[in-house]
Amino acid sequence: MMVPFGSTEAGMLNAAPLVPLLPLLGAALVGLLGTRMLKGASHWPVIIGIAGALVASFLILGAVASAQPGTPAGQPDTTYRLFSWFSPLEGLWFDVNFCIDALTAIMLVTVCGISLLVAIYSRDYMRVTETETPEGHEGGPSAAERLADPHVHGHQSGHHQPVPERGYERYFAFIGLFVFSMCTLVLAGNFLLLYLGWEAVGLCSYLLIGFYYQRPAAAAAAKKAFLVNRIGDFGFGLGILFLYLWLSPWAPDGRSPLDYDVAFATIHRLDTWQITTIALLLFCGAVGKSAQLPLYVWLPDAMEGPSPVSALIHAATMVTAGVYMVVRCGEIFVQAPVALAIVAAVGAVTALFAATIAVAQYDMKRILAYSTISQLGYMFLGVGVLAADSAIFHLFTHAFFKALLFLGAGSVMHALAGIIDLRQFGGLRRVLPVTYATFVIGALALAGFPLLSGFFSKDEIIHAAFAHHPVLGTIGLITAVLTAFYTFRMVFMAFAGPERIPAGTHPHESGRWMLVPLVLLAVGAVGAGYVGVHMKAGGFLGFIEPHGPFHRFLAPVVEPYAATLHARVGHEAAGAAHEGHVLMYISALLAIAGILVAYVLYVRRRDWAKQAREAFPVAYQVLHNKYYVDELNDAAIVRPLWDSSRVLFGVDRIVVDGLVWAVSAVPRVMGFLVRPLQNGALQSYGVSMTAGMAVIVLIVWLVSRT
Amino acid sequence: MLFLQEWILTLLIVLPLVGAVAVAIAGAGGRPLVPRSGENHDEPRGPRLGQMALAFSLATGVLTILAVALFFTATSETGQNLARAGGFALVQDLTWVADSETARRQIDFRYHLGVDGLSIWLVALTAFITPLSIWASFSGIRHRQREYYALMLLLEASVIGVFCARDLLLFYIFFEFTLIPLFFIIGIWGGPQKWAAAGKFFLYTFAGSMLTFAGVLYLAWQAARQGGVFTFDIDTLYRLQLTEREQFWLFLAFTAGFAIKVPLFPFHTWLPLAHTEAPTAGSVLLAGLLLKLGTYGFLRFNLPMLPAATQELAPLVAVLAIIGIIYGALVAWVQDDFKRLVAYSSVSHLGFCMLGMFALNQAGLTGSVLYMINHGLSTGALFLVIGMIYERYHTRQFDKLGGLARRMPWMAFFLVFFVLSSIALPGLNGFISEFLVLLGTFTSRNPLDGWPAGPLGAPYGVIAAVGIILSAVYMLAMVQRLLFGQLKEPEHTPDTSGGLRPDLTRREITILTPIALACLILGVYPKPVIDSIQPAAQQQVLAWVYAGDTDAAFAGAIAPRDAGAPARSAGPGAKEGGEDKDRLSRSTVGFSQSGFATCFSRWGEDQSPGFFPFSDFSRIPDSAVPEVTHR
Repeated sequence: MMVPFGSTEAGMLNAAPLVPLLPLLGAALVGLLGTRMLKGASHWPVIIGIAGALVASFLILGAVASAQPGTPAGQPDTTYRLFSWFSPLEGLWFDVNFCIDALTAIMLVTVCGISLLVAIYSRDYMRVTETETPEGHEGGPSAAERLADPHVHGHQSGHHQPVPERGYERYFAFIGLFVFSMCTLVLAGNFLLLYLGWEAVGLCSYLLIGFYYQRPAAAAAAKKAFLVNRIGDFGFGLGILFLYLWLSPWAPDGRSPLDYDVAFATIHRLDTWQITTIALLLFCGAVGKSAQLPLYVWLPDAMEGPSPVSALIHAATMVTAGVYMVVRCGEIFVQAPVALAIVAAVGAVTALFAATIAVAQYDMKRILAYSTISQLGYMFLGVGVLAADSAIFHLFTHAFFKALLFLGAGSVMHALAGIIDLRQFGGLRRVLPVTYATFVIGALALAGFPLLSGFFSKDEIIHAAFAHHPVLGTIGLITAVLTAFYTFRMVFMAFAGPERIPAGTHPHESGRWMLVPLVLLAVGAVGAGYVGVHMKAGGFLGFIEPHGPFHRFLAPVVEPYAATLHARVGHEAAGAAHEGHVLMYISALLAIAGILVAYVLYVRRRDWAKQAREAFPVAYQVLHNKYYVDELNDAAIVRPLWDSSRVLFGVDRIVVDGLVWAVSAVPRVMGFLVRPLQNGALQSYGVSMTAGMAVIVLIVWLVSRT
Repeated sequence: MLFLQEWILTLLIVLPLVGAVAVAIAGAGGRPLVPRSGENHDEPRGPRLGQMALAFSLATGVLTILAVALFFTATSETGQNLARAGGFALVQDLTWVADSETARRQIDFRYHLGVDGLSIWLVALTAFITPLSIWASFSGIRHRQREYYALMLLLEASVIGVFCARDLLLFYIFFEFTLIPLFFIIGIWGGPQKWAAAGKFFLYTFAGSMLTFAGVLYLAWQAARQGGVFTFDIDTLYRLQLTEREQFWLFLAFTAGFAIKVPLFPFHTWLPLAHTEAPTAGSVLLAGLLLKLGTYGFLRFNLPMLPAATQELAPLVAVLAIIGIIYGALVAWVQDDFKRLVAYSSVSHLGFCMLGMFALNQAGLTGSVLYMINHGLSTGALFLVIGMIYERYHTRQFDKLGGLARRMPWMAFFLVFFVLSSIALPGLNGFISEFLVLLGTFTSRNPLDGWPAGPLGAPYGVIAAVGIILSAVYMLAMVQRLLFGQLKEPEHTPDTSGGLRPDLTRREITILTPIALACLILGVYPKPVIDSIQPAAQQQVLAWVYAGDTDAAFAGAIAPRDAGAPARSAGPGAKEGGEDKDRLSRSTVGFSQSGFATCFSRWGEDQSPGFFPFSDFSRIPDSAVPEVTHR
């Protein structure tokens, strides 16, 4: 049903437009006044805007949680109308409208919360000291690049006050724009507004990856991100178009079939092949945005952007939009079992695939990027095996610990003047104690260490995967070991062992603006999991019961998934699947085992790691070079397309234009042929005149004879 | 008020004409308004003539705002709001040439103007873009300013005339007249190959429109045969009864002129050269306005006048449009000249425009008209920005420039903004039109309101949608190569003579800002525009396209051929029965069943013997032949 904004029915939910608008206002303010007036204070409008949005998000969360059952407020099938946007037919308008339910509320709080912390963190991160020593390091930006580009996070031990780096205003304007876009995406009540948010977050990602646009790598990475996403969006857009094409006969009068409530209520009228087509096309978009196989290639390169951007956009929020969308479209996906199976398969394979790559990387941010891809794979696996609430739960916990890890890596990078290659430093635990402590907490959560947030959510997904199919569950477990291993490989290489500091840098712990978000996120990484579990008396880990308040809150939204699961395995079995702690013990043990292996290889016996590399050189090279996927894409797609386009251009000039030239040559040739007649010589005119008269006379004579 | 309603369109045409004359006279006075040594003049002292032309075009713009307001408040005799009803408003209808005494057959050439929801926005676009282009020329045009600004105003007048004309001959006159100012603008103030470009542009488009003119004459002659008046009045011509064979050939004749103008693949090769060689304002007007004359011609004449041929040939046109979309995008991608890149992007974009139009439904047509406006804004603005770069660096080669975002942050902002608008980022204008075009293409076969299925369908849409990816490919490649990376400039640049500075001047920012705002507003709240386009698309185009296919129209009376007045009542909404409906039903329904291929084989079966439609002369009683054809 449709409720206009401003009505009493909407109640507290009337605050919803504020959520995207406040950050947009902040961004606009910075955009207009940043370079002239605000300058180094440009973070304030954006931080205040996001804080306002966070407050509004909490109001919405409260309103949804306290909504009376049976009223439209806070229900997934209620649409809140803002204004008419554009129209395909007389009498039918695509509206700008919102859908506000439990899923929306959770996403809004997560997005605004993480954004606020990241914005606060960025206040210091995006500053440089003027007394930096521009020195080239392998893996880091070269000396020339540093001179041209102030993105080098110099140490702050000098007496000079750090100054905002070039583009400070631009950075915060983009961040505000991003929060606006992401909140619009989440709040959207129809597929078109979703698409708007979808493309807009892609734009912000593009702009922020390319923030250091003078670095060719950053410019290329930005373009790659946009284009790979466009490929996914191509499918996504087609999905929307097919949705309209096939559903419009069923939509009630005057309602757009692209509104969620209409689409989900009428989708069952289509044939299964139609629903499957739509679901797979929509999933294309998710694959692009959430960096799944085969469209994941942009995310590792996206690490060219500033670290807080990686934390916010490329770990905690934007990349989870695909998961959000698939969960949101549950009504469509559950009616397309083939599509769901593909979702699960893509998720599982991506999780494993990315984890194997992460094992052989040295760039901290890239390890985290592959880890993000892998964790997003878990989420899709969760949705695919009908555990949509677990997937959203993992999305929620992942936002905390992955943002924490990225910000931690950023803190390291800040301290080391932009160096992030693990081979160049080590043993930083004494120099960066707070960063170290929080980073380890984040790493434990990511590795699935018992009682931390990642443990609960990941375990639920693995559990559901096993209930669905043992192969999927096994892949989940293997990935869990790998995750624990590569995470702690990174932790030990960076923080354990003897202190190794690159020459010319003077590492120092970051300032308060950066440490406070780290600490808060660490608290979240530990505690976020507990909103999703029950506590009760019991033995070791026995006091934890999965599917806690978080899942109950989310239940109305993931109803299609839950209903399908119940229909498949029966209500009893579905309930029972959540119990039984064997798997919980196994995954806890596996996580610890992974950490231990990393400890042995990278702390105790460093030479073993080297020997392992040398023992399997091919495997190591393949993993280190990321399965050569980029090279393959370049050789199989980009170059042929470029070459054939060059050929087309040649065809355009020679064939297509040649035809035009040939046509235009006809009169030219005719003129050339008759031109000699007009030679200006009286004698020839006389001859031709006489000849002509003779011909005429001849003809007249011939005609008169007959 | 009534006076204004009748005369405002004329004023819109006359005011720039007066301006052109005034500029020409002022410049010729011999007084040192524009000293010949003015080549190095900087801005404040410089272009007085330019300011004069700007004033005239701005005044036209203000009048246009008034015209839009009048259009939206105009009501019909029954008190209906014409904008909402999709009708024509601000009509002025004067008999111009009427030769009623010498012949039984009257000659009826009228000065008949009017705008509906389809044309008012194109008029507004013209009046919006022209002053900005004139203003943008202040720094670039340093010689023969008198002629330049006079020609610009002349061009504005003729383009507005095209969009307002309600008489086919008047339309044709304005349509052809646009060539003359642009020919000189390209030829005199263009780049190194300017005369080659100008000549090719003129001859190519002119050759095509000669065929169109033949079609125009044939239509008028048919009008004389059927209604007794040798008329060019568009409303009358819509009601002509044309056999499928006539429609087929007329469609080709009209297409010859319009497809070259659009340009539809493969008739586009004049465009890259003309766009690249033209001075900035020339490119802006060419891309922003002149290309729309072609699509507008299709919309106004091919579709409503030749419905059977339109329905039959729509798949063919759509295929050409789709080839244009993909081909144009791929060729744009590999250009090493960024002005030519934007030129080829027009081939791709206009393909979308044509595709939506030939989906023959509301979504597609609305999208197509919106696309014309949006393309005018975003591509026009892209040419402006590129012109600003060119004025500073005197090169259009990618490999000579790079990293300009550092040097020209304002320029970078606007370039990225208009690129985003051009690649249809939701929230900006391009998205809505592109989405509507694709939606129209997808749903073309969905029957609506009792209409039969349209000609296109989802497969066309799927292939065309590849253009969404490709447009991002070439546009972002341009952004990357021009703006990002290390700063790279030719020696002795940026050229800051003529009041320029490395980054955009205040004047240039003021030129680009209104366009950017328009893009934003049209992207977020296009409701007023769509509200008027949609009913007009419905009433002025679709109702005619499907007139022969619905029962209501079958019931419409078709006046007997020799009744002495043009047949009037076969149009939408007509209810009475008629005698000649068999002819119409045979021609439209039979045609659409026969298929394009059989169209050729069916010539022989048709009643008339000849190959060419004009051989129909043999069937006509002598008394029916209008005298004018013998003159």
